[in-house]
Amino acid sequence: MEIRLSSILLAAALLSGCGWFHRGEKAHNQVVVDEPEGEPTIIEPQVTRREVKTPKIKAKDFEIGAYFGALSIQDFGVNPVYGARLAYHVTEDLFVEGFLATSKAGTTSLEDEFPDITVVSNAGRQFTYYDLDLGYNVLPGEIFLGRGRAFNSQLYVTVGMGDVKFAEKDQFAINFGVGERLLITDWLALHLDVRDHIFETSLTGRTKNVDNIEATLGLTTFF
Amino acid sequence: MRRLLASVLLLQALCVNFVHAAENLLELVVTRPFLEMHSGPGRGYPVVYVVGRDETVTVLYSRTDWYKVRAPRGQEGWARRSDLAQTVLASGEPAPIPPYPDFASHRWEVGAGYGVYNRQNMVTAYADFGLTESLDIEAVVQQALGTIDNRVVGSIGIRHTFIPEWKWFSPTASIGTAYQHIVDKEPPAPRESNNQMAYVSLGARGFITRRFMWRADWRHYVVFNSLNVYEDLEEWKFGLAVFF
Repeated sequence: MEIRLSSILLAAALLSGCGWFHRGEKAHNQVVVDEPEGEPTIIEPQVTRREVKTPKIKAKDFEIGAYFGALSIQDFGVNPVYGARLAYHVTEDLFVEGFLATSKAGTTSLEDEFPDITVVSNAGRQFTYYDLDLGYNVLPGEIFLGRGRAFNSQLYVTVGMGDVKFAEKDQFAINFGVGERLLITDWLALHLDVRDHIFETSLTGRTKNVDNIEATLGLTTFF
Repeated sequence: MRRLLASVLLLQALCVNFVHAAENLLELVVTRPFLEMHSGPGRGYPVVYVVGRDETVTVLYSRTDWYKVRAPRGQEGWARRSDLAQTVLASGEPAPIPPYPDFASHRWEVGAGYGVYNRQNMVTAYADFGLTESLDIEAVVQQALGTIDNRVVGSIGIRHTFIPEWKWFSPTASIGTAYQHIVDKEPPAPRESNNQMAYVSLGARGFITRRFMWRADWRHYVVFNSLNVYEDLEEWKFGLAVFF
C-alpha cells in the first residue's frame, strides 16, 4: 500500500517536473520572440468590450378583431352576421382593412306566401363575403363619459370591394361604409359599423343591383 | 400549500420577466426646450403634458407617425415622430427613430386593387420583392368574378421599373407565368378548367405618401390549352400598395 502511494506521488512529481521544465522552455522562447531589442512592449488590455444594445421600438400598426351584428340581405330578411377583420394603419388618416364574414339568409316573402316555392336551396342561403377596403379617419376626436373619463375616437369612412358568395355563386361586390372606432384603451377598440354591400343578382327574377346593409358591433386589438 | 407556493413563485418569475421587459424600453433625453405629449395619436388631439429639456422619456411603442411615451413622473401620452427624432440617447447619440423607407430603393411591397380580367370584374392582391432598385419579383393572386364563370388566377413574374428615381410616375414592364382555375357558373361548362398561361405587361407606379403608393398595369396573357386553338386574354388593373 505504502509502495503504491509513494509510486503515485513520484509519478505526479515527475509529471509536474516535466511541466515545469517545458514551461521554462516556453517562457525562454517567448522572451526571444516577443521582445526584440529596441521595440517597446505594447500591453493589450484583456477587457472585453460591453455591447450596448439600443432597445427597438415596437410598432403597433395592425388591428385585429371580430364583429357581429345584423345583415339585411335584400329580399331575404335581416339575419345575424359574424366576421373577422384585420387592418393596417398606414398613416394617422389612412388605413387598409380586410373583412371575412358569414351569415345565413332567411326566406323571401314569396317563399313565405307559397311554401312550395324555393328561390334558393338551403345550402345556398349561406351568405359569406370577403372585402378589401381603404379607410379614412375623417373625424378624430374624444368622447366624454361623465366628468372624469375621455376616450379617443375616430369616425371613419371606408370604400372597398370583394366577393359575396350567395346562392352558391360568387359575385363581385363593392361596399361603402361608415364606422366609429372608440378606443377603450390605447390597444383595445370598440367598433360600430354600418356598411352596404352592393352586387348584381338575378335571383328574384330580373337582374338588379341589391343593397345589403349591415350594422355591426366589434372589438379589436392593436398589435 | 406547495401548489400555492409554486404558483407564487411562478407569478414572481413572471413579474421579474415583466419588469425585465419594462426595463428594456428605449429611453430618450429631450434636448429641445420641451417635448409635447398629446392625448391621442393624431394631429388634432390636445397636448396634455409637456416634458422639459434634459428630462428622460420612455418610448413604449409606436403607431403610424406617433410614439407612445412615458414621462419621468409616469404620465403617458403620444409624441409626434418629428419631435421625438430631435431627442438623443443617454450617450448623446441621436434617437434611433427609423427613417421612412426610401421609395426608390424599398424592398417589400404589399398591395390590392381592382381590375378587369377577360371583361370580368376582378379583385387582385399582390406581394413584391425588390431584387435591385429596378428589378422586382412579384406574386399575384386574383379572383375574377363574371356572369358566366369565376376565375382564380395566380401568377409570378419579374418586373423592370424603367426610371426608378422618378418618384411620382415611372413606367414598368414585366413578364411571367400564370395559372388559372375556372369555376363554372352558367352552362355550358368550360372545356378546360385549369390552364397554364404566360403574360407580358406594361404598367406604371408612383409614390403617394409616406409608405403608400399606386400601381397600374395592363397585361396580355397567352393561354396554353390542348384544344388546338389560340387563346389569349386581356387584363388591366389599378391598385394601392404599402411599401416597407
